[in-house]
Amino acid sequence: VDLETEIAAAFTAGRPDALQMAYQRYAPLVYTIALRSLGSGQDAEDVTQQVFIAAWHQRAGFDGRRGSLGGWLVAITRNKVTDVLRQRQRDSRVVARVAGDAGREAARQAPDPDPDQVVTRILLADELTRLPEPQRLVMALAFYSDLTHEQIARALRIPVGTVKSQIRRSLFRLRSRLEADGATP
Amino acid sequence: VPHPEPAVLALRALGEAVGSADDERHIAACAQCRSELARLAEVAALARRSGTAETLSSPPPRVWERIAAAAAGPASLAGTGAAAAGGASPRVRPAGQASRGHGLGGQAARWLSGRLSAALSGLAIGLAAGAAAATGIAQLTSGPPPARVLARIALRPLPRFPQWRHVAGTAVMQAAAAGRILDVRLRAPRLPGFYEVWLLGRNGVSMISLGDLSTARTGRFVIPPGTDLKFYSRVDVSLQPFNGSTLHSKVSVVRGALPPAALGGRRTSAVARQPGRGPPSAGLSAGNAGRAEGGG
Repeated sequence: VDLETEIAAAFTAGRPDALQMAYQRYAPLVYTIALRSLGSGQDAEDVTQQVFIAAWHQRAGFDGRRGSLGGWLVAITRNKVTDVLRQRQRDSRVVARVAGDAGREAARQAPDPDPDQVVTRILLADELTRLPEPQRLVMALAFYSDLTHEQIARALRIPVGTVKSQIRRSLFRLRSRLEADGATP
Repeated sequence: VPHPEPAVLALRALGEAVGSADDERHIAACAQCRSELARLAEVAALARRSGTAETLSSPPPRVWERIAAAAAGPASLAGTGAAAAGGASPRVRPAGQASRGHGLGGQAARWLSGRLSAALSGLAIGLAAGAAAATGIAQLTSGPPPARVLARIALRPLPRFPQWRHVAGTAVMQAAAAGRILDVRLRAPRLPGFYEVWLLGRNGVSMISLGDLSTARTGRFVIPPGTDLKFYSRVDVSLQPFNGSTLHSKVSVVRGALPPAALGGRRTSAVARQPGRGPPSAGLSAGNAGRAEGGG
């Protein structure tokens, strides 16, 4: 049983330590999505707090057969981020009414990044950090350098066949994780 | 025409021109392979669009303190004492202590937090090492490092899988400069799917995938550094279907146990160097034990 399955089972069962296990595993994911989507550390802290408290209180609504705990927490995070963005819009309309054109201009600046792209990028980073070494390094080179698998094998002094099967396994794993967590269509 | 090896699809998704002409014709004609390739390419494109890997940030400790305080309220952790005692203020615990005295033992908690911090710190270090490795290619030395045979074992079919009774294999573990190397050979028919090599843990549950055997049913694998071979002491070869799953198919073809003498890691004595069978030239650069690499 892997770590995530164990956490999800403990969470569903409402075990007292489950919330902390889930927090240790997923807080960086939730917090970073909120931080990149909202651009504010304070808002990201608030969202993180709301996500975990809401998830804990609504844990009866989590069904491990329908998706991963990570995917569920990411979905809650998206909702909370959307709430904050809507609130900001309302606030900026108020500002615009009070301050006139200058306020309207200020509200139009700093467009929010595309939330889907933010989530996907961060999920991918989260999954990459979770690959064991040397798979993680192999994938970082495969993605971010111009090296072929044979060049990676020479660079890391790993047999070509090993690099090949590591790339195969990692890429399939990344794909299934992204699809499970609802980041790709 | 059979489906190409999954590795061919993965490498093509990353933009490498690998695979035979047959593979190419197959992919062009096979909707399943084309869709698989497109989904893998989408992952690669997503990763590359951001240029470099994102780094994840952890929230400051006060966030957990607030969550623990809120969750320790009457609504959820009823029965833990403080809340039931009638409106007592929720106890806030520092994150490092919170699991003590709860269901998760201290050892498990330490393991968990160790695993997490290792995972989080790993990315930055790995990227730096990657850059170093990439720039260092030109300086690589070419001489094969010396290797030492640590174990040579037979792989045999399991009694509960009578269909494999004519199959056999060998596994040779060597110590080389890059770490411990496992060479696996299988005398087995070519079947739909592919053969994958695993190290099985003593608990019967944990396993490490080392990689796939080539179409010649041979393979050379690096045992991940730090692997506890006293625990992961058995070599297993499975037949895997082409279903994209990274899990063991539960179809074990052959298995063998590594002898205790070989499991001690870097010890130099008590190593079974078998007379008359000197170490084969095991230079890492010398090749891939017959692995069929796709041409351009």
